[in-house]
Amino acid sequence: MNLKQILRERETWKGVLIILLLSVVLGTVSNAGLVKRFLQGEFRQAFLSKEDYPGLRFITLPEVEELWHNQTAVMVDSRPVSDFRRGHIPGAVSVPLEEVQNRAYDLGGRVPSDRPLVIYCEGGDCLTSLNLARLLHQRGFRDLRVFSGGWNEWLSAGLPVEKENEDS
Amino acid sequence: MLLRLIVGGIFIWAAVTKIADPLSFAQNIRNYRLVGQTLSFATAIILPWLELIAGICLIVGVFPRSSALLVSGLLVFFIILVTVTILRGIDVDCGCFGTFSRKADLWLILEDSLWLAMSLVLLFSSENDFCLLRKNP
Repeated sequence: MNLKQILRERETWKGVLIILLLSVVLGTVSNAGLVKRFLQGEFRQAFLSKEDYPGLRFITLPEVEELWHNQTAVMVDSRPVSDFRRGHIPGAVSVPLEEVQNRAYDLGGRVPSDRPLVIYCEGGDCLTSLNLARLLHQRGFRDLRVFSGGWNEWLSAGLPVEKENEDS
Repeated sequence: MLLRLIVGGIFIWAAVTKIADPLSFAQNIRNYRLVGQTLSFATAIILPWLELIAGICLIVGVFPRSSALLVSGLLVFFIILVTVTILRGIDVDCGCFGTFSRKADLWLILEDSLWLAMSLVLLFSSENDFCLLRKNP
């Protein structure tokens, strides 16, 4: 049998359709709870359930600005070091996600565990801040706030920028 | 029959690890930065079941051609997806086997190609041994 014959046969498509439909039904039914929560507006920024990641939330630029201004939180930059050097939020700590993932990384020495952390990456579609937040959560950090707007939003708001020469 | 067991088994295993944790899988899909939040969610709840059912059908022999066609189609899609992802320079966990996941890299393409070769053999083979819905030639 060749591909043309297979594709021409009605039986083939009937089976494909049945398998597809069955998957949609079973997937939806078995995840009814999640589907309901999604329709109610949950998981729109990240697929994290509040029960699994208590203390992790998403914040917007005004909140970030306030936390930064009052120095209540530590800014954590999850982008690669090269990006960090080119410019970052003043006072931010560079914690590149890649490095934390790849080797034994001295997190404790760089990130205080007793203060809120504001984690950001490039902005737009970037996901390293979120993934770093998950990782930090696994390592016992509990007050984690992800700034989804990220570096781009900070920059376009005309807020202060710090450039690095000496620090890591 | 052995091929059927291998390819079907792989798909069933891959599916079960994902069905166990749909949210993680949804995030994995999102990490590929190809589709948005809603589509990632929809894919995450449906795709694992599709893999599971296609895998079971392949082993049991219900709709053998259809399931082989679906499995081959999925594998072609995965191979293209990983290739595009590598070309875009996105470093991502493949999300293939839940927590046993690994990086989406060249090895993954080779591995998927191997499964694809097997499933194509199944698709084009005339043998329908152990099939429940046997079609007379």
